[in-house]
Amino acid sequence: MPKITIDGKTLEVAKGTSVLEAAQLLGVYIPRYCYHPKLSVSGNCRMCLVEVEKAPKLLTACSTEAADGMVVRTDSDKVKTARRDVLEFLLINHPLDCPICDQAGECGLQDYYMDYSRAKSRFAAEDKVRRQKRRVLGPHLVLDNERCILCTRCVRFCSEVTKTSELDVMERADHSYIDLKEGRSLDNNYTLNIADICPVGAWTSRDFRFKSRVWFLKKAPVACLGCATGCLAEAHHNENVIYRLLPRPNAETNTWLCDRGRMTYKAVQAGDRLAKGVIKNGLIDLEPALREAATRIDEAKAAVGVLGSPWLSVEDNAALALLAAGMKTANFCFDFKFETGIADGILVNKDPSPNAAGAARVKAVRGGLELQAFAAKVASGEIKTVLAEARAAGLIKDALKTSGARLITFATNKGDIPAGAYATLPYASYFETAGTFVNYQGFERRLEPVVAAPEGVKPFWAVVNKLGAYSGVLLRLDSADDAMRGLEKK
Amino acid sequence: MISVKKVNNRPLNFLERIYLPEIVRGIAVTARHFFTNLLRPGNILTVRYPEQTIPLPGAANQRTRHRLKLRADGSPKCVACFMCQTACPAYCIHIEAAEYAENSVEKYPAVFDIDLSRCVVCGMCVEACPEDAIAMDTKEIPGGALTRRDMLLTKEDLLRNLPGEPSLLGASNRLANEYLEGKK
Repeated sequence: MPKITIDGKTLEVAKGTSVLEAAQLLGVYIPRYCYHPKLSVSGNCRMCLVEVEKAPKLLTACSTEAADGMVVRTDSDKVKTARRDVLEFLLINHPLDCPICDQAGECGLQDYYMDYSRAKSRFAAEDKVRRQKRRVLGPHLVLDNERCILCTRCVRFCSEVTKTSELDVMERADHSYIDLKEGRSLDNNYTLNIADICPVGAWTSRDFRFKSRVWFLKKAPVACLGCATGCLAEAHHNENVIYRLLPRPNAETNTWLCDRGRMTYKAVQAGDRLAKGVIKNGLIDLEPALREAATRIDEAKAAVGVLGSPWLSVEDNAALALLAAGMKTANFCFDFKFETGIADGILVNKDPSPNAAGAARVKAVRGGLELQAFAAKVASGEIKTVLAEARAAGLIKDALKTSGARLITFATNKGDIPAGAYATLPYASYFETAGTFVNYQGFERRLEPVVAAPEGVKPFWAVVNKLGAYSGVLLRLDSADDAMRGLEKK
Repeated sequence: MISVKKVNNRPLNFLERIYLPEIVRGIAVTARHFFTNLLRPGNILTVRYPEQTIPLPGAANQRTRHRLKLRADGSPKCVACFMCQTACPAYCIHIEAAEYAENSVEKYPAVFDIDLSRCVVCGMCVEACPEDAIAMDTKEIPGGALTRRDMLLTKEDLLRNLPGEPSLLGASNRLANEYLEGKK
């Protein structure tokens, strides 16, 4: 175990730890561009130069292994001068188009310039090397080669994380630039991570392009509900609008976030967002829609089937379980078995639903039918009216089609409503209301509202509560936590 | 230390105490102004603002109504960098950015509103602008509108050049200048 001294502080680190990582453990920040904890060490940006005793020259902290008795200084004049000079090199050809650059505000060049340089440029703007600006690469990214500092984080990401190797540094020395390899396109499912790890504004997101300035954005912790992996994410929002989702790196589940997961926020602000009830194909107000649905449930009485959903939170599934219990029907199902596991070796799960494990918790307490048995009962006509969340209804769509059972669904977006649904009731998405999800590893994700729901749209448990009241079942739910009563033993 | 100022109020004398002479004196002042204005209306100091204005003195550095400068091709110099909106202490600037299809400067404001009823005329937006795109040199004093809507300056209201422009100053104007040269 080598013992290393950095700026007078001594620490014993594991063998193979770099000086930069050791400094991080000691709370000493060393500036870096090309170093990334999840990528291989490249050592090309020279920003992390530190002074090591007995070494003739400054060494790059990211690629120097900590050795026993090593004495490192990161605050000497020599290091400070080195940082200033490296920044001067990096900024020689920088176009300084911060006013039109989306990275401004979270840019490594801006931040380090203010922290370590503040020097006036000695190079004339006319002499800067010109490169291609604004080049759309792939469905999600824009590349600006003028802003690039050739740290090769993007190249290493594509070759090491996605293993698709679309990008490379072309040509040599002053001529080098990042480009796609011939005949390739940048269309893997993780491209937006490149925009995140790019320390400058060379790679920017097409989706976020010119939407907002980053310093206006507020950050809220969320989890991605795109699949059962349940990656931790961060919603960046301002004035009730979500602008983007970014990963919240953690040791258990994810460092990155897939492109499809990042786009899940769009459904919240989509044009087809439901704010009213739907009966057959016509929009009507929520109240009459609720009454109509309640009448149909009353009509069918014991022939009502309640289907939980792996796309709903634990609380909302529990609310459905309470409704089923109140209606004294034995036809309810919280059994969703999907094959789980990482499908692509990075993040995307084989299970497309975010909360099958959470629904299983309700099943463990309440019991209920297996999904096949439920579908069979629907197909045989034993269940005449089905109460289900839109995407869960899709799981039994064949049975619904053969029997023609009346389907009452809950949906957030018009596009989700399954064909042939009799009535649809809107509910607030999980960016707008609280809920608990359980990912495939069994980790709980407690979601808190980020933005406000459209006017008149209520959380799922509140819709169930009202539907129950109108059909003669008093559930008395005042909050999502109230619904957790459904998880208590009778 | 709070400084304390002692005021010695003079006690009222006899004439003031009996009240009526002072009233007459006051009415006399009012009447004098009334008759002067009636007989020589040219000497009235009051101006019927906003229909009438007084020309502002000389080339003093005054902050007056905003304007957005134009490039040689008539496009706004503003690139919607949101610096003015960020610097504005009164939150009176509202910008929505959009993207040019071909112009190499890439970004322009699709919406640029200044709410004059909120503006405190501090000039921070001009200070913050890296593009030399916003100025407060129109020598017009804002205000005096009948509706709130009239106090809202839109992009169209703001875009105007003074004689001797366009100027080619500004940080990322290099891109715009190149684009304009390419169009010639």
